[in-house]
This record gives sequence, C-alpha cells and structure tokens, in this order.
Amino acid sequence: MSVLVQPVPEVNPLQDALRFERRVPPCAIVIFGASGDLSKRKLLPALYRLFYERRIPPNFAVVGSSRTPLSDDEFRERMKDSVKKFLEDAPFDEDIWTSFAQSLFYVPGDLNNPASYDDIRNKLDEIEKAHQTAGNVLFYLSTQPSYYAEAVLALGEHGLNRGNGWRRVIIEKPFGHDLQSARKLNDEIHKVFDESAVYRIDHYLGKETVQNILAFRFGNGIFEPLWNRRYIDHVQITAAESIGVEGRGGYYQEAGALRDMIQNHLSQVMATIAMEPPTVFDANNVRDERAKLLRAVRIMKPEDVEKFAVAGQYGPAKVGGQDVPGFRQEQSVDPDSQTDTYAAVTFYIDNWRWADIPFYIRTGKRLPKRVTDIAIQFQAPPLGLFKQETKGGLREVRPNLLVLRIQPEEGISLRFLSKSPGSGMRVRPVSMDFNYGSSFGERTPTAYETLLLDAMAGDPTLYTRQDMVEASWQIVQPILDVWAHSKFDFPNYPAGSWGPKASDEMLARQGHVWRIP
Amino acid sequence: MSSAVIFPAQPEQILKGLGKLWTSLGQEEKQQGKPTVLRACAMTLIVATDDPDGGFAASQTISELMREHPSRGIVLAVSEQAEHGLEARVLAQCWKPFGKAQQICCEQIEITARPDSWPNVGPTLVGLIAADLPVIFWCRHSAALNASATKEQKAGLEAVLSLATKTIIDSKGEDPGRTFELLTKWRNRGRVTADLEWTRLTQWREPIANIFDNPCRENKFSSFHKIEVVHGGDRPGACALYAGGWLSAPYKAEVTFTKAPGEDSGLARITLRSDSEQIDFERKGECMTLRSTNGRERKYSYKDASVDALMTEELAVLGQDAAFDAAFARAQELWNG
Repeated sequence: MSVLVQPVPEVNPLQDALRFERRVPPCAIVIFGASGDLSKRKLLPALYRLFYERRIPPNFAVVGSSRTPLSDDEFRERMKDSVKKFLEDAPFDEDIWTSFAQSLFYVPGDLNNPASYDDIRNKLDEIEKAHQTAGNVLFYLSTQPSYYAEAVLALGEHGLNRGNGWRRVIIEKPFGHDLQSARKLNDEIHKVFDESAVYRIDHYLGKETVQNILAFRFGNGIFEPLWNRRYIDHVQITAAESIGVEGRGGYYQEAGALRDMIQNHLSQVMATIAMEPPTVFDANNVRDERAKLLRAVRIMKPEDVEKFAVAGQYGPAKVGGQDVPGFRQEQSVDPDSQTDTYAAVTFYIDNWRWADIPFYIRTGKRLPKRVTDIAIQFQAPPLGLFKQETKGGLREVRPNLLVLRIQPEEGISLRFLSKSPGSGMRVRPVSMDFNYGSSFGERTPTAYETLLLDAMAGDPTLYTRQDMVEASWQIVQPILDVWAHSKFDFPNYPAGSWGPKASDEMLARQGHVWRIP
Repeated sequence: MSSAVIFPAQPEQILKGLGKLWTSLGQEEKQQGKPTVLRACAMTLIVATDDPDGGFAASQTISELMREHPSRGIVLAVSEQAEHGLEARVLAQCWKPFGKAQQICCEQIEITARPDSWPNVGPTLVGLIAADLPVIFWCRHSAALNASATKEQKAGLEAVLSLATKTIIDSKGEDPGRTFELLTKWRNRGRVTADLEWTRLTQWREPIANIFDNPCRENKFSSFHKIEVVHGGDRPGACALYAGGWLSAPYKAEVTFTKAPGEDSGLARITLRSDSEQIDFERKGECMTLRSTNGRERKYSYKDASVDALMTEELAVLGQDAAFDAAFARAQELWNG
C-alpha cells in the first residue's frame, strides 16, 4: 500500500509574535460599489492605513468595481483624493501611496450584467499570477442592499465562489429589513457560500471599546461575580446622535431608528454585555454565546409593545441659537412620515443570570449630544447607613454605577461613594476613571481597519453570524409589526432634547430614570 | 509641579513628599468640583544616567513614555554636583489628552547621587518601588557599562540591577564585544536583558519576515543560504550583528558584513541570496525598498525610531524574548568568527 505524504509547509522561522503585528495571508479584495461613499470614506482609507502600517501582506490587491466607467489609473486617482480627504489621524505619504496604488485595479461593470463577472474573474486570474495572491479572494458587497442576493448568486454562477484559495464575502448592514427577508437573504447566500465564509459586518463590534467589554468582563476576576441579577439593578444602553439625517432622509425614512440601530448594533452590544463567558476565546465560542444570549431575550407580545417600546420623531426647534428642522421638514422626507427617529425599548433576558433585570436601550437623532455608552446600575446597599451630600442638601445614597463609554471619550468609570473630608459621616460620589485613549496613547485602529484585517485573517469573531442576525430580528420584529400599524402623534420631541416623555415614563413605571450621559 | 529638595533621601521622606504632591494636585479638583487628575502607574521605571544634563533628558523620555507605559519613574542622576551625598526631589508628570478635561499624571522621583554614594542607593530604591508591579531598569550610565568602570560604578550598577525585572541598555556606538560580554554575564545570572540596538531592527525584521509568509513563494527562507548585511561605520555594530544573527540562526546561512559607502551609521541594506533569487531591502532616507529579482518592487515608510519609540516597544515586552535570545547567541558566534 502506498501512502501519499503531503509536504509539510515550511514554518516561517522569522516571525516574531511578540513584536510583529498579526499575520494576514495574501489575498485580493473585490469591492462591489467601489465608487460609493463607503469605499471612499471608510474602506480605501482603512486599506491604505493598513498598508502604511505594513499590516497587510506584500501580496495583496484591491479590485474596485461599479457602474462608473473608469480605467485603473482613474480609479487610483479618485481613491487617492478620497484617502487624502478621509484618512483619520494619520499622515498621507506620496511614496507609500504610489506603492499601494500598484495594487489597485478597477473593473467597470453592472451587477446585473453577467459579462461583468467574467471580467472580474479574468482580472482575478491575472492578479493571482502577478501578485501571488494564492487564489484567496475577499468579496466586499458595498452596494445597495437590494443587490446583495443577486450579486452573491451571480458570483456562484460564474464560479467566483471557488478557486485555488479561500473565498469569503463581506456583507454590509442592513441584513434584511425584517426577520422574513433576513432569512430569505441567508438562504440565497448559502446557496453560494458556506456560513463560515460569510462575514456580516457590524462596525460597532469592530470598535476597540466594544471589544474591550470582553476584556473587561472576562480578563478581570473582580467584576464577573457581580455581573448578574443579584447585584445589578438594571442596564441602560444609550446611542445618541446630535445630527439629523444629513441628506439620508430617503433611506432613513424606510429604516427608522429601531431597524437602523437597535436591531443590529445595539442588540449586539447588549449581547456582549450580557453573554456568558465563552469556554475558549475563539470566533465560534464567542459567537455561540452572543447568539445564545439573543435567543434568551424575551419576545414581546403585541399587547406589550406599548408598555415596553417607545417611538419618537424629532420636531423643529432652536438649538444653539439656530433653527433646526424637524424630521418631516428634512429633504426627501414625507411631510406626514411615521418613521421613528428615536426608539427606546425595554428588553428582558429570560435566563438564570438576568431574569427580571431590565435592559433599557435608547437611540435617536437630534438628541443633545453624540454619545454611546452602557451604564450598569448596581443595586443599592441593603441598608441606607449614610446620607449623600448634594447641593440641595442630604439625600439617600445613589448606588454604584459602572459606565462603559464607547464614544466619544472611550473609557470606563466606576462611581462609588467616599466619605467627605471633615467631621461627620457624610458621603459623596466619586468616580474612578479609566480613559482608553489616554491610557494607551497610540492611535487606535478604526473599526473598518480591524474588521477588514479580521476578514483577511479569517477571524469572524467580530462579525455577526446567521443565527445572531435572525435572533436580533426576532426580538425587534413584534415591535416593528405593531408600529407598522400604529398612527403616531409625531413629532413628539423637539430637536436637541433627550427624547419623548413616553420614554421617561417607560422607565418611571419600573422606578427608574434615564441617566443623562 | 515639583517639590523642594528632600534630604536625607530616605524612602519615608520621599513618599511623604509624593503624598503632599497628590494632595496639592487634588486641591484643583476640589475647586473645580470634578475630577481633573488621573493618577496612573503600571511599573517602576528606574533610569540611571551620567548625562551631564543631570537627568533632564531621561526625565523627558519618561514623560513621553507615560502615555503608553505610565510608571513611577525614578531618575537616578549620578553627578559630582550633588550637594548632599544622596538627595531627592519629587514631581508629577502630567499631560492632558487633546480635547479632554482631565490630566493624566505619573509621579516621578529624581535622585541625585554623588559617585561615591551610588553604591548605597539600593535601600532607598527598595522602599520606593511601586508594589506588585514590574521594575524596569534602563541603564543610560555609559561609564558604568564600560570595561573601565570604577569599583563604585560597578557596585552602583549592581545595586539597581538586583531590583530589576528587566534591564535595558543601548549599545549604539559601543564596542559590540563589550556589549555581548556584559549582556552574557547578566543573562547567565538569569536576568532579562534587552538592547535597544535589537529594538531598532524591528522596522527591518517585520517586512523581511512577512515576505516568507506567502505559501505561493517559490523560494522558501531555508533556500537563502547567503546573507549580506551592509552597515555604516568601519565595523559592524551590534545592530548589524543582531541582523546577521537573526537571519542566520535558523539555518546557519553564511553571513558577510560590508561597509556602506558614506558616513551614515546604522543599517543600509540587507540582501538575501538563494540559487535562483536575490532579495534586497535597502534603506534610503525615509524609505525602505524591497526588491526581488523574481518579483516587483515595494516601498515602505522608514523613519529612524526615536529613543522614546524604542523604549515604548521594549517596555511592552516584559518577559523572555525568544527571537532576541536566538539572534543574540548567533550574533556572538559571528562576532567571535
């Protein structure tokens, strides 16, 4: 009997994990929708930055594709302008750009036209030989969501889903517009790509501070024992934006705050905060725990929606001495629009750790400031021994509060009480602060840098999996269904305020108040 | 903000001085009614120096390092100028991140010792080390590292060395033979050591290593049996020897050292040769070019790393450094011929 022995690939003895950045295999990245805003503002600046920092391998290439007819050189020129304009906290270097641009290519084409896919395949074949990309290809769908299924199916029909190396696809949000459409889209994609090759991007999960939640919870021994219903009273997650729809009125009108933020970003943040510790820190285990948590979220009954969810829409107001239009006055917005520009929801997680603990999530546009944070409100001490010193006199002590700030001042602070100096036992709250940016002075990578690198390296930990997407649609679907048949008395909050009164009332019913971040 | 001179430089007195310093920083906080100062410490960083500036440059570097490696910094300036045998001063190094209201502050202790008092500094330092955190010793005292160091200098060096979790030197411009002798002595005693000349190589090592990650690459690293290191200066310095050592350690490739034309010091080029391919990494100004006879050319940005940047990297590696250990052993062999 003869045994076929595969040659063992030579291990690179020069690698030094202690000092070098993580290694990424050679590959080509095909960006569909390459002339769009996302490519210009985020993707190309992120790739250039990764190249500048030598974090992507020498053997890589980017193939841009969209309907705009451009040559390789024209594409490079356009991208150069964009990178110069949108590069965050980083210098632009002409020589490095020239070297980077050698790896940029463009294939004009229409996603509906089969010939476009043949052109892309031919280009990839050329690149594989010239740039030694090992046949690895990452497809990035930065197109309109309605084209996702069509594009993926066409990739399959033209054999682009297989080759000499791995093939992966990154899909931008929104992943479906409801549970049914998300399931349908998953089915279509799975006809062409295995789930392990599908990278659904949620840029919130790529933020350093969201990743830091995992390090904070599972890297320290002191918090996890308190991380449950015995010690935590409730959790507030806030994602506030001070701006309006900024010319995206048409898109936003179809989406709304609940779909745009809570279904994806904030439900994933909630899952990160509340999930069980994974047994091993790897993609599957982390995602299993996130998915398990989302599946444990109590699904609202239609009759409960009014009690546990609040929709809002901003109206015109004067902010900072300037007139700010209401949502209905924004460009491309229906003057009778029923779209929610604010959404607040109370979720309950029906598992051993969190039973009956409310998780309040709110998001909105035209709120007083841009801030995203998570506040863990601990229970008050069982006995009120001390009074707290405030400007208005003495009052009962405020419980401990742990705030995980995601933006703009990333960090963690813990509020606790300390004795005021002097005689008498009066206490006042003090804050123990960890500031992420200042404690690690180096520039933190943007979410897109992190996520692109992860996809190239084959690490899907920060990407959402099919079951996570479907579970997060499942928890918002009853709200969407009820709201779709409701007639709201909009606008119900003025621009520049913290949202509608009904939102405060939702918390008041549980004896809680929204904190002011 | 700094204190008056503390003499005698006893740990209790110095720590009391630090306590007062934080209280006065807290006053501002009380007036403003919000947190204004954040105290940070992740290690004790002791810097011994014989710089004629009395430790000013070392102090500046600590203040730069605190952004990524906040520490209790102890600058030990050995100088004939010290009025008392051993005296101290405490200060806070603070910086305010752009757009933030809160200052981040690290405490720093400056100890000035007359050369004859240096050997007695050990008990003072023991009392000043931040508890439960690593102690890094960065020796900038070039005379003490020299073969002709005095008895006091050797004893002073030993006093600090015995406290350190890791000891860092910079052998740039020094005789590599002496550097290897010193580091070997310390390493044989189980000390973790580092040389910033090795740290300077990271900018070269990373792109070189990365090209051999490609599974499609025809010529694997093991097929490159000749290495040429082109260096400034008349003789290869530690940096060039480490480069040769690192590249030849895995397969014992043949290494040659060539003097670069011109006056520029440091590495100028590294060439790897196999039977069918030659790869050059060449540095010119702020650009490094990778050129292969089998492939295309690629340019990288290259900037001479400042001492601050080198220390930032080195402070992130607190345990054993296997790559350095292997390169060091082979560099010694190359040096000894």
